[in-house]
Amino acid sequence: MSNSVISVISRFLEEYTTKTSNKLKVVDAYLFYILLTGALQFLYCLLVGTFPFNSFLAGFISCVGAFILGVCLRIQINPDNKGDFLSISQERAFADFLLAHTVLHLVVINFIG
Amino acid sequence: QQPSGSDIRTRSFICSSVFCLVLLTVALGAQALTPSHHLSLSDVERLKGLLSQPFTDLASAYYSIVGLSKLGAAVADENDACQFLKAQLDPMSVDSLFFAAEASQAIADCEVSISNETRDILLAAVSEDSTVTQIFRAVSALSSLGLPLASQEVVAALVARIAKEDNVLAITTALQTATRLSQQAELGGILEEIEDLAARLDDLGGVYLQFEEGLEATALFVTAAYTLSDHADTEPPLKEDQVIQLVNSVFSKKSWDSRSEAFSVACAAAALSSNRFHVPVIVSTQGPATVSHSQPILHLLVTDILSNPLASANLLVESAQAVASKSVVLSQAPFSLRDGIFELNFMASQPASGYYQFTVAVTGDSRLVANQVELKVKVSTEVAVTNMDLSVVDKDQSIGTKTSRVDYPFKAKGSFTADSHQNFAMNFQLVDANTGVELTPHQTFVRFHNQKTGQEVVFVAEPDSKNLYKFELDTAERKSEFDSMSGTYVLHLIVGDATLENPILWNVADVVLKFLDEEAPAAIQSKTLYMPKPDIQHLFREPEKKPPTVVSNTFTALVLSPFLLLLILWFKLGANISNFSLSPSSVLFHVGHACMLGLMYVYWTHLNMFQTLKYLAIIGSLTFLAGNRMLAQKAVKRYGQSSTLTFFTRRTCEN
Repeated sequence: MSNSVISVISRFLEEYTTKTSNKLKVVDAYLFYILLTGALQFLYCLLVGTFPFNSFLAGFISCVGAFILGVCLRIQINPDNKGDFLSISQERAFADFLLAHTVLHLVVINFIG
Repeated sequence: QQPSGSDIRTRSFICSSVFCLVLLTVALGAQALTPSHHLSLSDVERLKGLLSQPFTDLASAYYSIVGLSKLGAAVADENDACQFLKAQLDPMSVDSLFFAAEASQAIADCEVSISNETRDILLAAVSEDSTVTQIFRAVSALSSLGLPLASQEVVAALVARIAKEDNVLAITTALQTATRLSQQAELGGILEEIEDLAARLDDLGGVYLQFEEGLEATALFVTAAYTLSDHADTEPPLKEDQVIQLVNSVFSKKSWDSRSEAFSVACAAAALSSNRFHVPVIVSTQGPATVSHSQPILHLLVTDILSNPLASANLLVESAQAVASKSVVLSQAPFSLRDGIFELNFMASQPASGYYQFTVAVTGDSRLVANQVELKVKVSTEVAVTNMDLSVVDKDQSIGTKTSRVDYPFKAKGSFTADSHQNFAMNFQLVDANTGVELTPHQTFVRFHNQKTGQEVVFVAEPDSKNLYKFELDTAERKSEFDSMSGTYVLHLIVGDATLENPILWNVADVVLKFLDEEAPAAIQSKTLYMPKPDIQHLFREPEKKPPTVVSNTFTALVLSPFLLLLILWFKLGANISNFSLSPSSVLFHVGHACMLGLMYVYWTHLNMFQTLKYLAIIGSLTFLAGNRMLAQKAVKRYGQSSTLTFFTRRTCEN
């Protein structure tokens, strides 16, 4: 049982490092960073308490929103998905990413208090 | 145009409804009105005092001398007054002649000298061209001085002047003038003016009737109306209610502003007390309207408005009705007259104590107005407490009750003890000391007074259906009122009522009360009740507990650390900015984007949403345009590369 899990994981990692393009790996690194930041914020909230609650929410939602937008960007610029996003070029995807982030930052800064 | 059928119907409906309304008003207003104001003896003295003040000119001399004579008094020094009149007289002035002539008439043996010119001047004043006041003064002077005058000419002049001067004072003066004329003259037209003037009076709440010109005008009108009616031997067209309302208006003011006002009130009082048609009568009690066994006689005074007793009056009780039970105690009983006061022995009818509504009628003179009066008479009595039994009753009735009788006004010999298992009971009866009838006074209180702590607890004793008073104290139930303070309480019985002449405060006994849970709260309870209470300190909302700074700092560093990891990962992946083109749009885009991020920080620290949106709009649109250019260029470059690549691949493949 554990054998198969380990073998699946090792196979996945191998495929990942070889098959994915550099551009996508850059985005993946960014996503990983966002994830860590969000997790650490949540850990703080669990350990120390929710005061001030609005700041915690702002920070956490910022991480969640950035992660989601990053995932969207990654999906849209992946050449394997070109068939699904015929009308959206990579530049357009990046522009959307930036615009959505502007709105997200506006809301987060408003809420952070 | 002919009125339509519906018009006629509406009109007749309105007429009948108005008629019904008038009938209703008349029916409702038919309650007898009695004067609420008159001149008491002290008021008359005050009036005389005002008129007796020294006078400085002829007008004030006239008001004083004539006014005092109307009240039946005289000036201090008549000779002096007469000399004053003669000295101040100006034979050329109608007013001066009027004042002097009238005043001298009021003083005995005082004559003002006249000459032929005087007569001519006075007669000349009687014409259509003089004012009514001038005509009045001339006619009065002529009449007082005994000079002849032509009444018919005066009447004609008056009628002409009334048509021109249509105000209240003028018409009143015309009425006064007519009183000096011969009875053979045609006074009918002027007599009608009384009714017209009466219609101009203002009704205030159904109690007062007066002219808006004031008290003096109303008083002068009353004087003129009655003097003229007497002179012409015609009853004045004033209804009984109107007369009473006029009395209320004229005599409600008890201190007068000027001599002329006092004079007008004196004239009105004289006119109303001695005219031939309407004499308002005042029925008042001498002292409080109370009778009792010690004072069984009810004294009433019957006077006119000047507080002079009426010579030929008889007083009769039409009915005396008890207010509480509405039973008629007395009917058609006459009062007997003794020394000017009417007396009736009401206690002879053996009334029970309480209030009685008397309706008395004054008879003997057909001129009397408001001769049916309602009075409230109180019959008081003395109360006696009988059969006072004090007992201590056991709650579960295992031990027999100990009852002791106490007689008023003695105190019970021993003290009574009641603890939580026992009730303290009190039974007694309240009877009328004179008749033995049971009474239920308004106030029957049982008072417990703790001598040591100063506590006072009062209960109400209530009668049962047989008028036996019972009071029971359940020590357990009532301990809160006593604050659970055990001790000796002095017991008082308090009996009082408006109709009792001897209210009772009787120290009946001493009662020792024992309460169960002796918390002994501070015996100074009642004293601290009104002391300032302890200050309340305002507690501001405490700020939430914050974690220690060390923890926050650690976690801040921890949260920022993934950024380092990101940079390391990107470096390892080989991400670089070597493809960075220095085109203007690209530079502008990056600068704009950096500005937007900076704006976010400034928004957090300084700005509000509106300002931020404003700046964001500006920077954002610039960034957008630049970014659009930059990305388009990049896209072109990318497609160029990929198309070149496909071109090369195709070429290679083809090859």
